[in-house]
Amino acid sequence: MAKFRLDKFKPIVALGLFLVAWWILPAIAKSFFRVSFTEFQAPAWIVSSYLDDLEGFWARRSHSKIELIEAGQELARQKAFYQLLDQRNKTLETEVLRLESILDMPSRREFRYEVARVIRRDLNAWWQQIVIRKGEDYGISKGAAVIFAGGVVGRVVEVNAFTSRVELITSPNFRMAASFEGDVRPVVYQGVPQSGFGNPTGEVRDAPQDLVANTQDPLRLVSTRLGGTFPPGLMIGNVSWLEPGSTGIFQAGTVQLDKRLLSLQEVSVLIPLNPLNYDRDVP
Amino acid sequence: MFLDPRIIILFAANALLLFLCLLVNSSLAPLSLYLVVLGPMLVLPALYLNHRSFFLCTLLSGLWIDAALPSSFGLFTCGFLVMGTPIAMARIRFRAEHNYHPILLAHLANFACIVLLTISEGLQYISSPAFWLQLLITTLLSHAALLIIAPWFFNLQRLLFEICHVDTEPDEFPML
Repeated sequence: MAKFRLDKFKPIVALGLFLVAWWILPAIAKSFFRVSFTEFQAPAWIVSSYLDDLEGFWARRSHSKIELIEAGQELARQKAFYQLLDQRNKTLETEVLRLESILDMPSRREFRYEVARVIRRDLNAWWQQIVIRKGEDYGISKGAAVIFAGGVVGRVVEVNAFTSRVELITSPNFRMAASFEGDVRPVVYQGVPQSGFGNPTGEVRDAPQDLVANTQDPLRLVSTRLGGTFPPGLMIGNVSWLEPGSTGIFQAGTVQLDKRLLSLQEVSVLIPLNPLNYDRDVP
Repeated sequence: MFLDPRIIILFAANALLLFLCLLVNSSLAPLSLYLVVLGPMLVLPALYLNHRSFFLCTLLSGLWIDAALPSSFGLFTCGFLVMGTPIAMARIRFRAEHNYHPILLAHLANFACIVLLTISEGLQYISSPAFWLQLLITTLLSHAALLIIAPWFFNLQRLLFEICHVDTEPDEFPML
């Protein structure tokens, strides 16, 4: 009779011991491993991003002088237009400040805008995140709002030394307070799983019963100052249909988000100039 | 030698494959496409290395993947070892020097990785048809890409063995 050999189970025993050791390993040790490996990988991503920039630079260098002159003229026109808008913006800002002082309104949160390059996009069924090329080195903090030319992008969920990870508004883990343009009543915006076909979408809930949306005149969903993360008035998306929600008291609908969210190249991180102190500021 | 130099070669190849895969995924994002090509990473370490070296190589690869992806930390560190240990124990049944068996194993391991990710990260979305649709597309695309990537990757690993003048044959077979 063949002898029963126990040594063939050595790999199983080693695996079992490892799993038990991993299970009882303190969270701080796991966090140390994660941070170490992430920081070790970061230079490769940063270098690849700079190489991408270099590629763009050389591609632009191959343009003819005529094309560059035309682009310069177009830029000059746009600059003149934005200078006019800037003047108008300053006038309106002065007016707002004057009215706020008359009404004795509380001060608003001010932000510093940190423009960052997107170096990686992880958009799939399990998560919807991007990685940007700025981190603790530029004072970016966890929870900071991220925006782009088309409105809200998402929120910073992880900050490393030179990179940060941003959760997009398309992610089902993302939720924020919002309101419809011209209506101060707050509603809830939440990301939903994406099918991968068509434009990215989200979901709006707790919309008042009297609001009516249709495809000819969709409602614009914008950010509010509730929550303190986003400044008010930033575009989230369009809502072209509202129907009674599960409670029957409020309405819910699908939010059509900007398609550019899937191909972002550059975003702005909003860093609060006066961060909220929950012990001091919350009553 | 206490440390098999092939651990470093296989780990470096895994890191390269992950980096390239994430670069491609980043470019495919506007089309809402995503590739999961993690299966091949644990096949040759399980088929070529002795148990101790396999364990070390797979542990390092798992930690590397866990740090790169937003999944919960430890998912692939533990998952790779759980998936790789049966392959390593039964490797006498597989022909490591040809690509046929490693490719089949890579497909199985890759599918297991997708299932692992879905159980770990996607359980809260299982009622959403959109989630299943995207998961189906991701799975089909990943396995179609694996038909090309897996043979290339295994040949690359064997080529690196030759270039680095290390043992190109699998270690002694485990006892069954």
